[in-house]
Amino acid sequence: MTEAVEIAIHNLNFYYAGAVQALKAINLDIMKNQITALIGPSGCGKTTLLRCFNRMHDLYPRHRYEGEIVMGGRNILAPDIDLIDLRSKVGMVFQKPTPFPMTIFDNVAYGLRLKGIRKKEELSERVERSLKHAALWDEVKDKLWASAYDLSGGQQQRLVIARALAVEPGVLLFDEPTSALDPISTAKIEELVIQLKNDVTIIIVTHNMQQAARISDRTGFLMLGEIVEVGTTEKIFTSPSEKLTEEYVTGRFG
Amino acid sequence: MNARQKRKIENIIALSLSTAAAGFGIFWLLFIVSDVLMHGVAGFSAALFLSDPVPAGVEGGGLRNAFVGQLMIISVAALIGVPVGLLGGTFLAEYARGRQIARIISVLADIMVSVPSIIIGTFVYAILVKPLGHFSGWAGSTALAMIMIPVVLRTTEDMLTLVPWTLREAAFALGAPYYKVIFQVVYRGAATGILTGILLSIARVVGETAPLLFTSFNNAFFSVDMNGPMPSLTVSIFQYAMGPYDDWHAQAWAAAFVITLAILVVTVVSRMIIQWRYKK
Repeated sequence: MTEAVEIAIHNLNFYYAGAVQALKAINLDIMKNQITALIGPSGCGKTTLLRCFNRMHDLYPRHRYEGEIVMGGRNILAPDIDLIDLRSKVGMVFQKPTPFPMTIFDNVAYGLRLKGIRKKEELSERVERSLKHAALWDEVKDKLWASAYDLSGGQQQRLVIARALAVEPGVLLFDEPTSALDPISTAKIEELVIQLKNDVTIIIVTHNMQQAARISDRTGFLMLGEIVEVGTTEKIFTSPSEKLTEEYVTGRFG
Repeated sequence: MNARQKRKIENIIALSLSTAAAGFGIFWLLFIVSDVLMHGVAGFSAALFLSDPVPAGVEGGGLRNAFVGQLMIISVAALIGVPVGLLGGTFLAEYARGRQIARIISVLADIMVSVPSIIIGTFVYAILVKPLGHFSGWAGSTALAMIMIPVVLRTTEDMLTLVPWTLREAAFALGAPYYKVIFQVVYRGAATGILTGILLSIARVVGETAPLLFTSFNNAFFSVDMNGPMPSLTVSIFQYAMGPYDDWHAQAWAAAFVITLAILVVTVVSRMIIQWRYKK
């Protein structure tokens, strides 16, 4: 497996509401075409960290970043970064499925239209490709013009993944993507995520340690806003170097 | 008497009182509607819609001028009131969300909703009619728009607030700028609620008389000049009902019936939109 660094975090601090420090001195490398899982107890900062990669925090007032997140040779925390451009390169999938109130086709085409793609053939072609990529095409090809709300929860989540894939991002962020889904849908999403790493770099936040163990290549364990340990998933789950990590992955707290 | 009997008696008393209250309310409602219907249908004729009023005391004539005037005044009022209310509500729910200014405007709009409409009429009289020196259709539309704005604004604000934040975040995460998030995603999510609010605000002003008396006044002749006094159904009903002639009364009844019907239709349509939405 190639070991190229896609994103490098140097000494990242993050503050909410001007004062509350949610992330402390984070150093982390995200490897290209690998799945990096972020685990840790509730409130440890894993979702906060995930939302730094697409600067989601910028939607809310009085947040502050310190340090660097370097991607493609640039610090994406720099004030002159074009957030619209950044977010089209770093896609995100949320905990609950977030289909837009429009047709299945329009959902997937949304990001493409934002980019100014208007030609019918190109839209259809890329929508089809994205839906196939997200393993949803066979289920929806006959009802592309039905409302996205007619789909089941698991299908909606795959639709949202297709929508994110359509703009061909280099990185996909998953924020507990299966916590609202049944076991069968969860298995489908996990399978899909593993397939996707051939094309994109994946960072996934999960509460479910078995999920992290099943699908990720590398795992970072966070607690109280700090990275306790990061390494290959195999090492984190079988022979962690830190006592805290061992206690957490064996279920002694959390 | 044991506890069970006591409970049964209490239940019978509560049930009879609430049934009686409901029956009392429904009786008067049906009485008014059937009265308007019976008298209204009696005054119905093609001439009502096709001819203009004739000089007092002369038989015949209709209210074509008032129907046209009413439509124009309401349409212009909606053209002013709907966009202002919609964008205002959008400002409160989106751009000013959580800020002090949003709460203050919200409360003021709530107060505006319950301000008696005659006060709006006199206000527009003071700022538009008096300085310009004449009644006008524009003034009438302005008064009605001022009644519509707070209604549309508050419904829009409430409906946008109901759209979950994660939906906005999902659109932002695809690289959408805020105005596109609002216009392409959030508005769609709230569309039925907002549309209902708009229809109800129209139903609200269709029956207004007081604000028009002070602003568009009335006009016995057919007129499409929004710059001059304009006839409207409600003011015509008021004047005809007060007048001494029987055919005036008949026409007033017929006009009252048409207005009641229009409000009924608008309200039922908005109800149907809500149900259609929630069935899905």
